[in-house]
Amino acid sequence: MTNVLNHHPSIEMLVEFSAGTLDTATSICVASHLHFCASCRAEVARLDQVGAQLMAISSPERVDDSIFEEVMRKIDEGHVEEPVIEPKKGIQGFPELINKLIHDAAEMPIWKRLSKSMEVAKLFTGQSKYEVALHKICAGGTTPQHDHRGTEYTVVLKGSFSDEKSVYTEGDFIVREPGDVHQPMGAKNGECICLSAQEAPIKLTSPLGFFLNPWLRVNPA
Amino acid sequence: MKNQRAIVKKEQPNTPKVAVLKSTEKRNDLWSTLLVEVGSTQDRRAFAQLFEHFAPLLKSFAQASRQDGWFPGLAEDLVQEVMIKVWQKAGGYDPRKASATTWIYTVARNCRIDMLRRKCNTQHLPLENEDFWHEPDEETPVSLFRQKKTEEQVRKSLGQLPREQDEILRKVYLEGKSHAEASNELGLPLGTVKSRVRLGLQKLQILVSPEFREELIND
Repeated sequence: MTNVLNHHPSIEMLVEFSAGTLDTATSICVASHLHFCASCRAEVARLDQVGAQLMAISSPERVDDSIFEEVMRKIDEGHVEEPVIEPKKGIQGFPELINKLIHDAAEMPIWKRLSKSMEVAKLFTGQSKYEVALHKICAGGTTPQHDHRGTEYTVVLKGSFSDEKSVYTEGDFIVREPGDVHQPMGAKNGECICLSAQEAPIKLTSPLGFFLNPWLRVNPA
Repeated sequence: MKNQRAIVKKEQPNTPKVAVLKSTEKRNDLWSTLLVEVGSTQDRRAFAQLFEHFAPLLKSFAQASRQDGWFPGLAEDLVQEVMIKVWQKAGGYDPRKASATTWIYTVARNCRIDMLRRKCNTQHLPLENEDFWHEPDEETPVSLFRQKKTEEQVRKSLGQLPREQDEILRKVYLEGKSHAEASNELGLPLGTVKSRVRLGLQKLQILVSPEFREELIND
């Protein structure tokens, strides 16, 4: 898709995405934005060259001949499966990885009503730093004004919504920091579905359930 | 906004911004040619040549990793896994959009992350790193891949970066450190890390500012 969008991830996020150092939840949001944004896709492709050229000028390490033979043996023995092109499933227009999260999940995400005009479906992503979910706002729906306890990333997947600052359409990438108060409203002409990753509140309990000293600095690996 | 831009263009007809981005490189370097051959005819000799060149670089890339989950056999495993993927996926390689070096690097980056994650994660992971790069590039206009410098020039400029910018880019891309981890390790404020990364990228002329990204789409 080649929509022209107004709200993009920062360069730092694209760099970390290109280097593969961005955490899983944030990467899901960036990848979803890339699905809609050709110009950021090309930016990431340019950034990939930095890693590629750094690799190209590093000092080569000797590789034993046996490794080449092993690779050829695996290719010959057909241990190497040709990649299967699976028919696309899921919601048309959605990023593939979101459809994968929805349809390959052990348990299908379930829409739960949050308010008269809003529903939420949590996605299982194998990490606990952020809560990743889909939010659905019905056409013309209003949501309660709210603050954020941690950083929150939002990507519009379908339709559009607006708040005091702007109108956000499919693919737009929005960052909210703690203290940003806003009141999103669904567009009048149809429902809006957004992907969001919300920084989870820090749990101050040990695996055994004891309270940890909150003054202790916790450095999660 | 649109009107403003039109006026700027009229006043400076000889300096359109896009002209700076002239390079949509013709990939006729040896490696890209070989990779196309592997993709189109499963040419084993071409594959062997690619292996000879890239396997030692891939091993070096694997050993540079300082991420959690690193294990002693990682380098050899990565070389195997990446080269098998190169064989499998070469058919999808488009030389207009990336050089063989960049394309193989992205395969290696994805493999490395997956191998490390598998090692240090007990949770079931629903996504592989490749899933994050699934978006079909066929839909991206080739004009968008234009850049100010050819890859050869990017490589040369890398050698001329100030030490602290070179150091930070290596930490991020080769060691696989996040900006936050790099800031911890180097004892530098996060803002300094970010600005060094940005300065480095500006010197390499990698970044294309949003104003004329839009023009490239409509090109």
